[in-house]
Amino acid sequence: MGLAQSAEAAAHVTQTQIQTQTSTQTSTSNNSNSTSLDSVLAEAAAYGNNDDTEESIEAKAQRALECPCIADLRTGPCGFQFSEAFLCFLKSTAEEKGSDCVSPFVALQSCIKANPNAFSKDVLGEDESEKPESTQEYKILPPQWSREPQSPKSRL
Amino acid sequence: MGREEEAETQTSICKDAPNLLSFFVDTFVDFSVSGLFLLPTPPLQNPNPSISRSLPPLPTRLPSPSRLIAVGDLHGDLDKTKQALRLAGLIDASDRYVGGSATVVQVGDVLDRGGDELKILYFLEKLKREAARSGGKIITMNGNHEIMNIEGDFRFVTKTALDEFRVWEQWFSVGNKMKGLCQGLETPTDPFKGVPMSFHGVKREFFDGFRARVAALRPNGPISSRFLSQNVTVLVVGDSLFVHGGLLPQHVDYGLERINEEVRDWINGSSGKFSPQYCRGRNAVVWLRKFSNEVAQNCDCATLEHVLKTVPGAKRMIMGHTIQTAGINGACENRAIRIDVGMSRGCGGGLPEVLEISKNSGLRILTSNPLYQNMGNAGLNVGKEELLIPAHGGLREVEVKA
Repeated sequence: MGLAQSAEAAAHVTQTQIQTQTSTQTSTSNNSNSTSLDSVLAEAAAYGNNDDTEESIEAKAQRALECPCIADLRTGPCGFQFSEAFLCFLKSTAEEKGSDCVSPFVALQSCIKANPNAFSKDVLGEDESEKPESTQEYKILPPQWSREPQSPKSRL
Repeated sequence: MGREEEAETQTSICKDAPNLLSFFVDTFVDFSVSGLFLLPTPPLQNPNPSISRSLPPLPTRLPSPSRLIAVGDLHGDLDKTKQALRLAGLIDASDRYVGGSATVVQVGDVLDRGGDELKILYFLEKLKREAARSGGKIITMNGNHEIMNIEGDFRFVTKTALDEFRVWEQWFSVGNKMKGLCQGLETPTDPFKGVPMSFHGVKREFFDGFRARVAALRPNGPISSRFLSQNVTVLVVGDSLFVHGGLLPQHVDYGLERINEEVRDWINGSSGKFSPQYCRGRNAVVWLRKFSNEVAQNCDCATLEHVLKTVPGAKRMIMGHTIQTAGINGACENRAIRIDVGMSRGCGGGLPEVLEISKNSGLRILTSNPLYQNMGNAGLNVGKEELLIPAHGGLREVEVKA
Protein backbone atom coordinates (compact mmCIF):
# COMPACT_ATOMS: atom_id res chain seq x y z
CA MET A 1 0.00 0.00 0.00
CA GLY A 2 1.59 3.21 -1.07
CA LEU A 3 0.86 5.29 1.96
CA ALA A 4 4.34 6.69 2.37
CA GLN A 5 3.15 10.23 1.85
CA SER A 6 1.30 10.30 5.13
CA ALA A 7 4.41 9.54 7.17
CA GLU A 8 6.08 12.61 5.74
CA ALA A 9 2.95 14.56 6.39
CA ALA A 10 3.03 13.42 9.99
CA ALA A 11 6.61 14.56 10.44
CA HIS A 12 5.66 17.89 8.98
CA VAL A 13 2.81 18.18 11.41
CA THR A 14 4.93 17.57 14.47
CA GLN A 15 7.29 20.30 13.40
CA THR A 16 4.85 22.97 12.43
CA GLN A 17 1.79 22.37 14.54
CA ILE A 18 2.52 23.27 18.08
CA GLN A 19 -0.90 22.96 19.60
CA THR A 20 -1.66 24.35 22.98
CA GLN A 21 -4.32 22.51 24.86
CA THR A 22 -7.14 24.81 25.70
CA SER A 23 -10.36 24.08 27.37
CA THR A 24 -12.17 26.76 25.40
CA GLN A 25 -15.17 25.27 23.77
CA THR A 26 -15.68 26.67 20.31
CA SER A 27 -18.97 28.37 19.58
CA THR A 28 -21.91 26.22 18.63
CA SER A 29 -21.30 24.68 15.31
CA ASN A 30 -23.68 23.09 12.87
CA ASN A 31 -21.26 20.21 12.51
CA SER A 32 -23.22 17.29 13.88
CA ASN A 33 -20.03 15.70 15.14
CA SER A 34 -19.17 18.70 17.28
CA THR A 35 -22.72 19.02 18.52
CA SER A 36 -22.88 15.45 19.67
CA LEU A 37 -19.51 15.78 21.34
CA ASP A 38 -20.73 18.87 23.08
CA SER A 39 -23.76 16.93 24.17
CA VAL A 40 -21.67 14.04 25.48
CA LEU A 41 -19.51 16.39 27.45
CA ALA A 42 -22.53 18.32 28.66
CA GLU A 43 -24.26 15.13 29.67
CA ALA A 44 -21.11 13.93 31.34
CA ALA A 45 -20.97 17.15 33.30
CA ALA A 46 -24.65 16.80 34.18
CA TYR A 47 -24.18 13.26 35.39
CA GLY A 48 -21.17 14.34 37.30
CA ASN A 49 -23.14 17.12 39.00
CA ASN A 50 -26.25 15.10 39.64
CA ASP A 51 -24.63 12.00 41.00
CA ASP A 52 -21.77 13.66 42.73
CA THR A 53 -19.49 11.17 41.08
CA GLU A 54 -16.53 12.71 39.37
CA GLU A 55 -16.19 10.68 36.22
CA SER A 56 -13.13 12.01 34.55
CA ILE A 57 -12.86 12.52 30.83
CA GLU A 58 -10.55 9.52 30.95
CA ALA A 59 -13.22 7.32 32.46
CA LYS A 60 -15.84 8.47 29.99
CA ALA A 61 -13.50 7.85 27.10
CA GLN A 62 -12.92 4.34 28.38
CA ARG A 63 -16.67 3.83 28.49
CA ALA A 64 -16.98 4.96 24.89
CA LEU A 65 -14.47 2.30 23.95
CA GLU A 66 -16.80 -0.33 25.36
CA CYS A 67 -19.76 0.64 23.21
CA PRO A 68 -21.15 -1.81 20.65
CA CYS A 69 -20.25 0.56 17.80
CA ILE A 70 -16.59 0.26 18.69
CA ALA A 71 -16.49 -3.48 19.32
CA ASP A 72 -15.45 -4.69 15.86
CA LEU A 73 -12.88 -1.93 15.50
CA ARG A 74 -11.01 -3.12 18.55
CA THR A 75 -10.45 -6.57 17.14
CA GLY A 76 -8.04 -7.50 14.44
CA PRO A 77 -4.40 -6.64 13.89
CA CYS A 78 -4.80 -2.90 14.51
CA GLY A 79 -7.31 -3.03 17.34
CA PHE A 80 -4.80 -1.82 19.88
CA GLN A 81 -3.55 1.07 17.80
CA PHE A 82 -7.12 2.04 17.00
CA SER A 83 -8.07 2.05 20.67
CA GLU A 84 -5.11 4.21 21.61
CA ALA A 85 -5.81 6.68 18.83
CA PHE A 86 -9.53 6.83 19.52
CA LEU A 87 -9.00 7.27 23.25
CA CYS A 88 -6.52 10.05 22.68
CA PHE A 89 -8.93 11.76 20.31
CA LEU A 90 -11.81 11.58 22.76
CA LYS A 91 -9.70 13.07 25.51
CA SER A 92 -8.25 15.77 23.30
CA THR A 93 -9.27 19.26 24.35
CA ALA A 94 -7.23 21.04 21.68
CA GLU A 95 -9.14 23.47 19.49
CA GLU A 96 -8.18 21.33 16.52
CA LYS A 97 -9.41 18.18 18.18
CA GLY A 98 -6.91 15.36 17.94
CA SER A 99 -3.96 17.58 17.07
CA ASP A 100 -2.27 16.40 20.25
CA CYS A 101 -2.62 12.78 19.12
CA VAL A 102 -0.04 12.70 16.34
CA SER A 103 1.86 9.85 17.90
CA PRO A 104 -1.02 7.36 18.27
CA PHE A 105 -2.37 8.47 14.89
CA VAL A 106 0.92 7.70 13.23
CA ALA A 107 1.06 4.35 15.01
CA LEU A 108 -2.37 3.54 13.63
CA GLN A 109 -1.27 4.61 10.15
CA SER A 110 1.76 2.31 10.33
CA CYS A 111 -0.37 -0.58 11.43
CA ILE A 112 -2.83 -0.04 8.58
CA LYS A 113 0.01 0.18 6.06
CA ALA A 114 1.28 -3.16 7.31
CA ASN A 115 -2.22 -4.66 7.43
CA PRO A 116 -4.27 -3.16 4.59
CA ASN A 117 -7.26 -5.32 5.43
CA ALA A 118 -7.21 -4.54 9.12
CA PHE A 119 -10.68 -3.02 9.03
CA SER A 120 -12.25 -4.97 6.21
CA LYS A 121 -15.49 -6.72 6.99
CA ASP A 122 -14.89 -10.40 6.49
CA VAL A 123 -18.55 -11.28 6.29
CA LEU A 124 -18.47 -12.05 2.60
CA GLY A 125 -14.70 -12.17 2.34
CA GLU A 126 -14.87 -9.85 -0.64
CA ASP A 127 -13.97 -6.28 -1.19
CA GLU A 128 -16.98 -4.29 -2.39
CA SER A 129 -15.04 -2.64 -5.14
CA GLU A 130 -14.44 -5.97 -6.79
CA LYS A 131 -18.07 -6.21 -7.76
CA PRO A 132 -18.58 -5.69 -11.48
CA GLU A 133 -19.12 -2.05 -12.27
CA SER A 134 -22.40 -0.82 -13.61
CA THR A 135 -22.58 -0.53 -17.36
CA GLN A 136 -22.69 3.23 -17.11
CA GLU A 137 -19.74 4.64 -19.02
CA TYR A 138 -17.83 7.49 -17.54
CA LYS A 139 -15.44 8.97 -20.04
CA ILE A 140 -12.38 10.93 -19.13
CA LEU A 141 -9.95 12.98 -21.18
CA PRO A 142 -6.59 11.72 -19.98
CA PRO A 143 -3.35 13.72 -20.12
CA GLN A 144 -0.95 12.92 -22.95
CA TRP A 145 1.73 11.38 -20.72
CA SER A 146 -0.67 8.74 -19.46
CA ARG A 147 -1.70 7.43 -22.84
CA GLU A 148 -0.70 4.14 -24.37
CA PRO A 149 1.72 4.73 -27.27
CA GLN A 150 -0.56 3.98 -30.21
CA SER A 151 -3.87 5.06 -28.74
CA PRO A 152 -6.31 6.83 -31.01
CA LYS A 153 -6.45 10.58 -30.55
CA SER A 154 -10.20 10.55 -30.40
CA ARG A 155 -11.96 11.06 -27.09
CA LEU A 156 -11.81 7.92 -24.99
CA MET B 1 -22.29 4.91 41.29
CA GLY B 2 -25.01 2.30 41.62
CA ARG B 3 -25.36 -0.45 39.03
CA GLU B 4 -28.44 1.15 37.46
CA GLU B 5 -26.80 4.55 37.18
CA GLU B 6 -23.74 2.92 35.77
CA ALA B 7 -25.80 1.28 33.05
CA GLU B 8 -27.58 4.55 32.32
CA THR B 9 -24.29 6.41 31.94
CA GLN B 10 -22.92 3.73 29.67
CA THR B 11 -26.06 3.78 27.50
CA SER B 12 -26.08 7.51 27.12
CA ILE B 13 -22.41 7.57 26.16
CA CYS B 14 -22.94 4.76 23.69
CA LYS B 15 -25.76 6.68 22.04
CA ASP B 16 -23.15 9.17 20.93
CA ALA B 17 -20.43 6.66 20.17
CA PRO B 18 -21.27 6.41 16.44
CA ASN B 19 -20.98 10.16 15.98
CA LEU B 20 -17.77 10.25 17.96
CA LEU B 21 -16.36 7.41 15.91
CA SER B 22 -17.32 9.20 12.71
CA PHE B 23 -15.69 12.40 13.90
CA PHE B 24 -12.55 10.45 14.84
CA VAL B 25 -12.37 8.70 11.47
CA ASP B 26 -12.81 11.95 9.55
CA THR B 27 -10.05 13.56 11.61
CA PHE B 28 -7.75 10.57 11.12
CA VAL B 29 -8.34 10.48 7.37
CA ASP B 30 -7.89 14.24 7.02
CA PHE B 31 -4.62 14.03 8.92
CA SER B 32 -3.41 11.09 6.87
CA VAL B 33 -4.17 12.85 3.60
CA SER B 34 -3.11 16.38 4.42
CA GLY B 35 -1.02 16.29 7.57
CA LEU B 36 -3.42 18.83 9.03
CA PHE B 37 -5.90 19.04 11.87
CA LEU B 38 -8.77 21.41 11.18
CA LEU B 39 -10.86 23.54 13.46
CA PRO B 40 -14.50 22.53 13.62
CA THR B 41 -16.71 23.78 10.80
CA PRO B 42 -17.64 27.37 11.47
CA PRO B 43 -21.33 28.00 12.19
CA LEU B 44 -23.52 28.84 9.21
CA GLN B 45 -23.49 32.52 8.41
CA ASN B 46 -26.96 34.06 8.58
CA PRO B 47 -29.02 30.92 8.12
CA ASN B 48 -32.33 31.91 6.60
CA PRO B 49 -35.08 29.65 7.79
CA SER B 50 -37.54 30.99 5.24
CA ILE B 51 -35.58 29.42 2.42
CA SER B 52 -36.33 25.73 2.35
CA ARG B 53 -33.00 24.82 0.84
CA SER B 54 -30.57 22.68 2.73
CA LEU B 55 -27.65 24.98 1.98
CA PRO B 56 -27.39 28.69 2.65
CA PRO B 57 -26.85 30.76 -0.53
CA LEU B 58 -23.26 31.38 -1.54
CA PRO B 59 -22.16 34.98 -1.02
CA THR B 60 -22.40 36.75 -4.38
CA ARG B 61 -22.27 40.35 -3.24
CA LEU B 62 -20.32 41.52 -0.24
CA PRO B 63 -19.67 44.98 1.13
CA SER B 64 -16.24 46.55 0.93
CA PRO B 65 -13.93 45.25 3.63
CA SER B 66 -11.21 47.46 5.05
CA ARG B 67 -8.67 45.20 3.40
CA LEU B 68 -9.19 42.99 0.39
CA ILE B 69 -6.54 40.69 -1.08
CA ALA B 70 -6.88 39.00 -4.44
CA VAL B 71 -4.77 35.95 -5.27
CA GLY B 72 -4.38 34.52 -8.75
CA ASP B 73 -4.09 31.00 -10.12
CA LEU B 74 -2.26 28.52 -7.89
CA HIS B 75 -2.17 25.35 -10.00
CA GLY B 76 -1.08 22.78 -7.49
CA ASP B 77 1.93 24.61 -6.03
CA LEU B 78 1.62 24.74 -2.25
CA ASP B 79 4.92 26.55 -1.68
CA LYS B 80 3.95 29.37 -4.02
CA THR B 81 0.53 29.50 -2.43
CA LYS B 82 2.11 30.05 0.95
CA GLN B 83 4.55 32.60 -0.44
CA ALA B 84 1.71 34.59 -1.92
CA LEU B 85 -0.24 34.53 1.31
CA ARG B 86 2.82 35.47 3.35
CA LEU B 87 3.53 38.34 0.99
CA ALA B 88 0.14 39.73 1.91
CA GLY B 89 0.73 39.22 5.63
CA LEU B 90 -2.08 36.69 5.79
CA ILE B 91 -0.15 33.80 7.29
CA ASP B 92 2.84 33.64 9.59
CA ALA B 93 5.90 31.42 9.46
CA SER B 94 3.95 28.60 11.10
CA ASP B 95 1.21 28.77 8.46
CA ARG B 96 -1.25 30.26 10.91
CA TYR B 97 -3.79 32.77 9.61
CA VAL B 98 -2.85 36.22 10.89
CA GLY B 99 -4.81 38.35 8.44
CA GLY B 100 -7.33 39.58 10.97
CA SER B 101 -10.55 40.83 9.41
CA ALA B 102 -9.26 40.89 5.85
CA THR B 103 -11.21 39.43 2.96
CA VAL B 104 -9.20 37.19 0.66
CA VAL B 105 -10.42 36.12 -2.76
CA GLN B 106 -8.65 33.37 -4.66
CA VAL B 107 -9.85 33.48 -8.26
CA GLY B 108 -9.68 29.77 -9.11
CA ASP B 109 -7.43 27.24 -10.82
CA VAL B 110 -6.14 25.47 -7.74
CA LEU B 111 -6.25 22.23 -9.74
CA ASP B 112 -3.95 20.94 -12.53
CA ARG B 113 -0.33 21.51 -13.47
CA GLY B 114 0.96 20.69 -10.01
CA GLY B 115 0.97 17.91 -7.45
CA ASP B 116 -0.25 19.75 -4.35
CA GLU B 117 -3.92 19.97 -5.24
CA LEU B 118 -5.40 18.29 -2.20
CA LYS B 119 -2.79 19.88 0.01
CA ILE B 120 -3.87 23.32 -1.20
CA LEU B 121 -7.56 22.54 -0.86
CA TYR B 122 -7.02 21.37 2.70
CA PHE B 123 -4.70 24.27 3.49
CA LEU B 124 -7.20 26.83 2.26
CA GLU B 125 -9.94 25.10 4.23
CA LYS B 126 -7.81 25.28 7.36
CA LEU B 127 -7.24 28.99 6.77
CA LYS B 128 -10.91 29.61 6.04
CA ARG B 129 -11.80 28.30 9.45
CA GLU B 130 -9.02 30.20 11.18
CA ALA B 131 -9.98 33.40 9.37
CA ALA B 132 -13.62 33.06 10.37
CA ARG B 133 -12.55 33.24 13.99
CA SER B 134 -10.86 36.60 13.49
CA GLY B 135 -13.73 38.05 11.50
CA GLY B 136 -11.85 37.49 8.27
CA LYS B 137 -13.11 35.75 5.18
CA ILE B 138 -11.39 33.59 2.60
CA ILE B 139 -13.40 33.03 -0.57
CA THR B 140 -12.35 30.57 -3.23
CA MET B 141 -13.66 30.58 -6.76
CA ASN B 142 -14.10 28.15 -9.60
CA GLY B 143 -11.58 28.39 -12.40
CA ASN B 144 -11.85 26.58 -15.72
CA HIS B 145 -9.61 23.85 -14.33
CA GLU B 146 -12.02 23.12 -11.50
CA ILE B 147 -14.88 22.85 -13.99
CA MET B 148 -12.82 20.65 -16.30
CA ASN B 149 -11.80 18.22 -13.60
CA ILE B 150 -15.31 17.85 -12.26
CA GLU B 151 -16.32 16.96 -15.84
CA GLY B 152 -13.57 14.35 -16.12
CA ASP B 153 -11.34 16.43 -18.38
CA PHE B 154 -7.96 15.49 -16.97
CA ARG B 155 -5.75 16.74 -19.80
CA PHE B 156 -3.68 18.96 -17.49
CA VAL B 157 -3.28 16.60 -14.57
CA THR B 158 0.27 15.78 -13.51
CA LYS B 159 1.66 12.42 -12.47
CA THR B 160 2.31 13.64 -8.92
CA ALA B 161 -1.25 14.87 -8.70
CA LEU B 162 -2.57 11.50 -9.71
CA ASP B 163 -0.50 9.95 -7.00
CA GLU B 164 -1.85 12.36 -4.42
CA PHE B 165 -5.36 11.28 -5.32
CA ARG B 166 -4.42 7.61 -5.24
CA VAL B 167 -3.14 8.03 -1.69
CA TRP B 168 -6.23 10.03 -0.77
CA GLU B 169 -8.44 7.18 -1.97
CA GLN B 170 -6.57 4.60 0.09
CA TRP B 171 -7.09 6.49 3.32
CA PHE B 172 -10.61 7.52 2.43
CA SER B 173 -11.54 3.89 1.79
CA VAL B 174 -9.98 2.74 5.05
CA GLY B 175 -12.00 5.41 6.79
CA ASN B 176 -15.18 4.17 5.17
CA LYS B 177 -14.41 0.63 6.20
CA MET B 178 -13.88 1.75 9.78
CA LYS B 179 -17.21 3.55 9.76
CA GLY B 180 -18.80 0.49 8.24
CA LEU B 181 -17.76 -1.58 11.23
CA CYS B 182 -19.84 0.54 13.59
CA GLN B 183 -23.43 -0.71 13.55
CA GLY B 184 -24.82 2.63 14.63
CA LEU B 185 -23.53 4.37 11.52
CA GLU B 186 -25.05 4.23 8.06
CA THR B 187 -22.78 2.35 5.70
CA PRO B 188 -20.96 5.06 3.79
CA THR B 189 -21.78 5.37 0.09
CA ASP B 190 -19.21 3.70 -2.09
CA PRO B 191 -17.51 6.58 -3.90
CA PHE B 192 -16.63 4.17 -6.73
CA LYS B 193 -20.15 3.36 -7.73
CA GLY B 194 -20.28 3.79 -11.50
CA VAL B 195 -16.56 4.51 -11.85
CA PRO B 196 -14.97 2.47 -14.63
CA MET B 197 -12.40 -0.17 -13.76
CA SER B 198 -10.31 0.70 -16.79
CA PHE B 199 -9.74 3.56 -19.21
CA HIS B 200 -9.33 2.86 -22.87
CA GLY B 201 -6.01 3.94 -24.28
CA VAL B 202 -4.53 4.78 -20.90
CA LYS B 203 -1.56 2.94 -19.42
CA ARG B 204 -2.67 0.32 -16.97
CA GLU B 205 -0.41 1.59 -14.19
CA PHE B 206 -2.51 4.78 -13.97
CA PHE B 207 -5.91 3.15 -13.70
CA ASP B 208 -5.95 3.37 -9.90
CA GLY B 209 -5.05 7.03 -9.92
CA PHE B 210 -7.69 7.96 -12.48
CA ARG B 211 -10.33 5.91 -10.71
CA ALA B 212 -9.53 7.78 -7.53
CA ARG B 213 -9.65 11.15 -9.27
CA VAL B 214 -12.95 10.40 -10.95
CA ALA B 215 -14.45 9.18 -7.69
CA ALA B 216 -13.19 12.23 -5.82
CA LEU B 217 -13.94 15.01 -8.28
CA ARG B 218 -17.00 14.04 -10.27
CA PRO B 219 -20.21 15.81 -9.31
CA ASN B 220 -21.11 14.89 -5.75
CA GLY B 221 -17.76 13.17 -5.27
CA PRO B 222 -16.22 13.50 -1.80
CA ILE B 223 -13.70 16.18 -2.77
CA SER B 224 -16.06 18.10 -5.03
CA SER B 225 -18.84 18.23 -2.53
CA ARG B 226 -16.59 19.01 0.39
CA PHE B 227 -14.35 21.69 -1.12
CA LEU B 228 -15.36 22.73 -4.61
CA SER B 229 -19.04 23.19 -3.85
CA GLN B 230 -18.05 26.02 -1.53
CA ASN B 231 -16.60 27.95 -4.46
CA VAL B 232 -18.37 30.90 -6.03
CA THR B 233 -18.15 31.44 -9.76
CA VAL B 234 -18.83 35.17 -9.82
CA LEU B 235 -18.38 37.56 -6.94
CA VAL B 236 -18.77 41.23 -6.14
CA VAL B 237 -16.87 42.63 -3.18
CA GLY B 238 -17.40 46.33 -2.73
CA ASP B 239 -16.69 47.87 -6.13
CA SER B 240 -14.70 44.92 -7.47
CA LEU B 241 -16.19 42.23 -9.66
CA PHE B 242 -14.31 38.93 -9.49
CA VAL B 243 -14.45 36.15 -12.04
CA HIS B 244 -11.87 33.65 -13.27
CA GLY B 245 -12.06 34.40 -17.02
CA GLY B 246 -14.40 37.30 -17.58
CA LEU B 247 -18.03 38.35 -17.59
CA LEU B 248 -20.09 39.26 -20.63
CA PRO B 249 -23.37 41.17 -20.65
CA GLN B 250 -25.35 37.97 -21.17
CA HIS B 251 -23.89 36.56 -17.97
CA VAL B 252 -25.02 39.54 -15.97
CA ASP B 253 -28.45 39.27 -17.60
CA TYR B 254 -28.60 35.61 -16.68
CA GLY B 255 -28.05 36.55 -13.07
CA LEU B 256 -24.95 36.40 -10.90
CA GLU B 257 -26.65 34.72 -7.94
CA ARG B 258 -28.25 32.27 -10.33
CA ILE B 259 -24.87 31.37 -11.82
CA ASN B 260 -23.38 30.70 -8.41
CA GLU B 261 -26.30 28.59 -7.31
CA GLU B 262 -26.50 26.54 -10.50
CA VAL B 263 -22.81 25.79 -10.56
CA ARG B 264 -22.88 24.74 -6.95
CA ASP B 265 -25.91 22.52 -7.55
CA TRP B 266 -24.10 20.96 -10.49
CA ILE B 267 -21.02 20.28 -8.38
CA ASN B 268 -23.26 18.63 -5.82
CA GLY B 269 -24.61 16.27 -8.46
CA SER B 270 -27.99 17.67 -9.35
CA SER B 271 -27.53 18.14 -13.09
CA GLY B 272 -25.37 15.40 -14.50
CA LYS B 273 -21.86 15.32 -15.85
CA PHE B 274 -21.57 18.59 -17.69
CA SER B 275 -21.39 22.08 -16.29
CA PRO B 276 -23.89 24.78 -17.23
CA GLN B 277 -23.44 26.25 -20.70
CA TYR B 278 -21.89 29.49 -19.45
CA CYS B 279 -19.01 27.44 -18.05
CA ARG B 280 -18.06 25.90 -21.37
CA GLY B 281 -16.55 27.27 -24.52
CA ARG B 282 -14.56 30.33 -25.38
CA ASN B 283 -17.10 32.81 -24.01
CA ALA B 284 -17.52 31.02 -20.73
CA VAL B 285 -17.18 32.94 -17.46
CA VAL B 286 -14.20 30.72 -16.65
CA TRP B 287 -12.58 30.72 -20.12
CA LEU B 288 -12.98 34.25 -21.47
CA ARG B 289 -9.80 36.14 -22.36
CA LYS B 290 -11.34 39.23 -23.94
CA PHE B 291 -10.14 41.48 -21.13
CA SER B 292 -6.92 39.65 -20.41
CA ASN B 293 -4.81 40.11 -23.49
CA GLU B 294 -1.28 40.95 -22.36
CA VAL B 295 -1.32 43.62 -25.01
CA ALA B 296 -3.74 45.89 -23.25
CA GLN B 297 -4.95 47.69 -26.34
CA ASN B 298 -6.26 44.42 -27.73
CA CYS B 299 -8.74 44.15 -24.91
CA ASP B 300 -12.40 44.68 -25.56
CA CYS B 301 -12.77 47.65 -23.28
CA ALA B 302 -16.13 48.67 -24.67
CA THR B 303 -17.73 45.42 -23.60
CA LEU B 304 -16.01 45.60 -20.26
CA GLU B 305 -17.46 49.05 -19.64
CA HIS B 306 -20.89 47.81 -20.60
CA VAL B 307 -20.65 44.95 -18.13
CA LEU B 308 -19.43 47.16 -15.32
CA LYS B 309 -22.30 49.56 -15.90
CA THR B 310 -24.81 46.76 -15.44
CA VAL B 311 -23.41 45.63 -12.10
CA PRO B 312 -24.34 48.27 -9.52
CA GLY B 313 -21.29 49.81 -7.90
CA ALA B 314 -18.74 47.82 -9.91
CA LYS B 315 -15.68 49.84 -10.87
CA ARG B 316 -13.37 47.09 -12.05
CA MET B 317 -13.24 43.44 -13.03
CA ILE B 318 -10.51 41.33 -11.41
CA MET B 319 -9.59 38.16 -13.29
CA GLY B 320 -7.12 35.32 -13.31
CA HIS B 321 -6.83 32.70 -16.04
CA THR B 322 -4.40 34.37 -18.45
CA ILE B 323 -0.76 34.44 -17.38
CA GLN B 324 0.62 37.95 -17.31
CA THR B 325 4.34 37.62 -17.82
CA ALA B 326 4.95 41.15 -16.56
CA GLY B 327 3.05 40.48 -13.35
CA ILE B 328 -0.24 41.93 -12.17
CA ASN B 329 -1.36 44.77 -14.38
CA GLY B 330 -4.38 46.70 -15.54
CA ALA B 331 -6.02 47.32 -18.87
CA CYS B 332 -8.88 49.56 -20.00
CA GLU B 333 -7.75 52.31 -17.65
CA ASN B 334 -7.37 49.87 -14.81
CA ARG B 335 -10.98 48.74 -15.12
CA ALA B 336 -9.64 45.28 -15.96
CA ILE B 337 -7.09 43.99 -13.46
CA ARG B 338 -5.30 40.80 -14.45
CA ILE B 339 -3.86 38.91 -11.50
CA ASP B 340 -2.68 35.56 -12.88
CA VAL B 341 1.10 35.72 -12.68
CA GLY B 342 1.68 32.04 -13.47
CA MET B 343 3.26 31.51 -10.09
CA SER B 344 2.96 27.72 -10.09
CA ARG B 345 6.05 25.70 -11.00
CA GLY B 346 3.88 24.08 -13.62
CA CYS B 347 3.18 27.47 -15.21
CA GLY B 348 6.73 28.72 -15.38
CA GLY B 349 7.15 29.70 -11.75
CA GLY B 350 6.27 33.38 -11.95
CA LEU B 351 7.18 35.53 -8.94
CA PRO B 352 4.28 35.70 -6.51
CA GLU B 353 2.24 38.87 -6.52
CA VAL B 354 -1.11 39.68 -5.00
CA LEU B 355 -3.47 42.60 -5.36
CA GLU B 356 -4.45 44.59 -2.32
CA ILE B 357 -7.43 46.92 -2.12
CA SER B 358 -7.65 48.76 1.15
CA LYS B 359 -9.56 51.71 2.52
CA ASN B 360 -6.31 53.35 3.54
CA SER B 361 -4.19 52.78 0.50
CA GLY B 362 -6.43 52.06 -2.43
CA LEU B 363 -5.14 49.57 -4.98
CA ARG B 364 -1.64 48.24 -4.56
CA ILE B 365 0.32 45.35 -5.96
CA LEU B 366 2.25 43.45 -3.35
CA THR B 367 5.13 41.83 -5.14
CA SER B 368 8.03 39.60 -4.28
CA ASN B 369 9.92 40.98 -7.24
CA PRO B 370 13.13 42.52 -5.84
CA LEU B 371 13.26 44.93 -8.78
CA TYR B 372 10.53 46.92 -7.15
CA GLN B 373 12.15 47.27 -3.77
CA ASN B 374 12.82 50.96 -4.12
CA MET B 375 10.04 52.16 -6.36
CA GLY B 376 8.94 55.57 -5.28
CA ASN B 377 5.96 55.96 -7.49
CA ALA B 378 2.26 55.76 -6.92
CA GLY B 379 0.31 52.55 -7.33
CA LEU B 380 -2.83 51.84 -9.24
CA ASN B 381 -5.18 54.36 -7.90
CA VAL B 382 -5.50 57.78 -6.44
CA GLY B 383 -5.60 58.34 -2.74
CA LYS B 384 -2.31 56.67 -1.93
CA GLU B 385 -0.19 58.16 0.78
CA GLU B 386 2.98 56.39 1.79
CA LEU B 387 4.54 53.47 0.11
CA LEU B 388 5.23 50.59 2.41
CA ILE B 389 8.06 48.36 1.34
CA PRO B 390 7.78 44.89 2.86
CA ALA B 391 11.03 43.12 3.69
CA HIS B 392 11.36 40.99 0.61
CA GLY B 393 9.36 42.78 -1.95
CA GLY B 394 7.70 45.99 -2.66
CA LEU B 395 4.97 47.83 -4.37
CA ARG B 396 5.04 48.77 -7.96
CA GLU B 397 3.20 50.83 -10.43
CA VAL B 398 0.67 49.05 -12.52
CA GLU B 399 1.86 48.83 -16.06
CA VAL B 400 -0.66 49.51 -18.74
CA LYS B 401 1.04 48.00 -21.70
CA ALA B 402 0.49 49.91 -24.87
